[in-house]
Amino acid sequence: MSRNVSFALTVGICMLLPFMVPQYSLTVLIEALIFGLFAMSLDLLVGYCRLYSFGHAAAYGLGAYSAALILTRLLLPLPIGIVLAVLVTTLVAIPIAWICTRSTGVSFAMLTLAFAQLGYAMLFRFRDITGGSDGIVGIPRPPGPLGMTWFQGKTGYYYLVLGCLIGSYLLCRAIVRSPFGAVLAGIRENEAKTIALGYNTRAYKIATVVLAHGFGALAGALYAAFAGFASPELFFWLVSGRVLIMVVVGGAGTLIGPILGGVFFVFLEHELSEITDLWPLIFGSVFMTFVMFAPQGIWGILTRRSNPGAELPGAGNETSDAAA
Amino acid sequence: MPLLECKGLVRRFGALVAVDAVDMSLEAGRIRAVIGPNGAGKSTMFNLITSVLKPSAGEVIFAGENITGLPVHAVALKGIARTFQLCHVFPALTARENVRIAAQAREHQRWRFIGGRHVVTRSAAAADEALEHLRLTRLANVRAALLSHGDQRLLEVAMAIAQKPRLLMLDEPTQGLSLEETDRTVEVLKSMLGAGNLSVLLVEHDMEVVFKLAHDITVLHRGRVIADGSPAAVKANTAARSAYLGGTE
Repeated sequence: MSRNVSFALTVGICMLLPFMVPQYSLTVLIEALIFGLFAMSLDLLVGYCRLYSFGHAAAYGLGAYSAALILTRLLLPLPIGIVLAVLVTTLVAIPIAWICTRSTGVSFAMLTLAFAQLGYAMLFRFRDITGGSDGIVGIPRPPGPLGMTWFQGKTGYYYLVLGCLIGSYLLCRAIVRSPFGAVLAGIRENEAKTIALGYNTRAYKIATVVLAHGFGALAGALYAAFAGFASPELFFWLVSGRVLIMVVVGGAGTLIGPILGGVFFVFLEHELSEITDLWPLIFGSVFMTFVMFAPQGIWGILTRRSNPGAELPGAGNETSDAAA
Repeated sequence: MPLLECKGLVRRFGALVAVDAVDMSLEAGRIRAVIGPNGAGKSTMFNLITSVLKPSAGEVIFAGENITGLPVHAVALKGIARTFQLCHVFPALTARENVRIAAQAREHQRWRFIGGRHVVTRSAAAADEALEHLRLTRLANVRAALLSHGDQRLLEVAMAIAQKPRLLMLDEPTQGLSLEETDRTVEVLKSMLGAGNLSVLLVEHDMEVVFKLAHDITVLHRGRVIADGSPAAVKANTAARSAYLGGTE
């Protein structure tokens, strides 16, 4: 019960924030929420399937570029454009997921990285469509459907992002608690056993990679329409690394932790980059501190008392490669 | 018609023939033990039947259907549940969660993404029943990693029977257990097997355990069947005795 109360309170505070902070701070807030959503989408893989994707930027970049193209070329209403961008990315993710899930562990990480870098390279290859190194600029936020314009201003856009984040969180939470989610826990704990119980784990992993791409694309599409441009950096491996760090620091396997991790790092970066050029150094130190002293992450620290034994080692048994 | 039939199963690992033209069958409702010294090919037999390994030659017929070479998960869905020699459970999940995931594998709606409360409820009920059978109810909410080794082994059996299998395969259920734990496990297994009309294939090292549980015994030695029959017949068989039972005499 108290959990629902604190959830409602957090949502309430987020709803009131635009009235409490100046307009220019809203920019950081929106970016923080978008990265929170992005990190949460990766948590489906890292925290629930123990699939370490090192190319999640592909989801972000695909979402951003699809949205950019749909909005600039077709001038579809913003919400419809974003939904279409998510659908497009989800479709593209199916073959990627099919190939990447043939392997696990380090080779999975390398394959996902390869796909993200492939996307990065393609941007320069198909300059006519993607704009090459210039990217796509001047992405509009077309009004509608039903003549809606409330999301065109900054405050309105904040509520759009907040709504997407809350909706996605509730959806992901329902997924990890569903029968499907129980199988993911089995895969995380001992994949060989899960197969022996009669589950086609490869199919479950493909579905999860596709889902993670869908939510990641939502973050990317929201970012593109907010920033007004999409550039090749969105596909770059630095983005993949950053979001992985956000998941780990926030607390993998908790959904809410990675959201906090994303928000935390965006704020940290914003504050520090104003003070010093050395902020990446501090960024790295924070990451190392968490890995060494608080591997359960921010959310793990916040909820430690109510969850004793959270630092129990996860998988104790060896798991073999997925036999399809 | 036997429930399980292995016809001329062969499995080679390079030059080594681990399983050499083994014929074996199991009638429904019977408990058959596969015994033999280390390296006799018992575990390989298990892995061939459950498709973890593909046979070099031969067939596995289950309930009249050729299941040779099917994917591992598909064999499990035919109604064959197994435990592993090295205990396989989900360490960070509670005992009930472990069994619930096992029970859910046979649900048609195991793919439900959203909701599916009824699937969860129904498989939770099946899980509680299985835990009850193995007298683990009091440990239902304990993480599997915190259970004793003996309880983890029983938990794995609970996971298997929660699937309501047509064939239950137990790979050395008392391996690595203390004497007291072994006695308790045998007692629990015996009452469980006595209650339901289960068909069981059992690999076991401990002869006392075998003679307490099995109706039929297959003795393997260097990949070949050297004796097959009732416990009394196998006890009397000199070949089996010299290979295994009597040790070095």
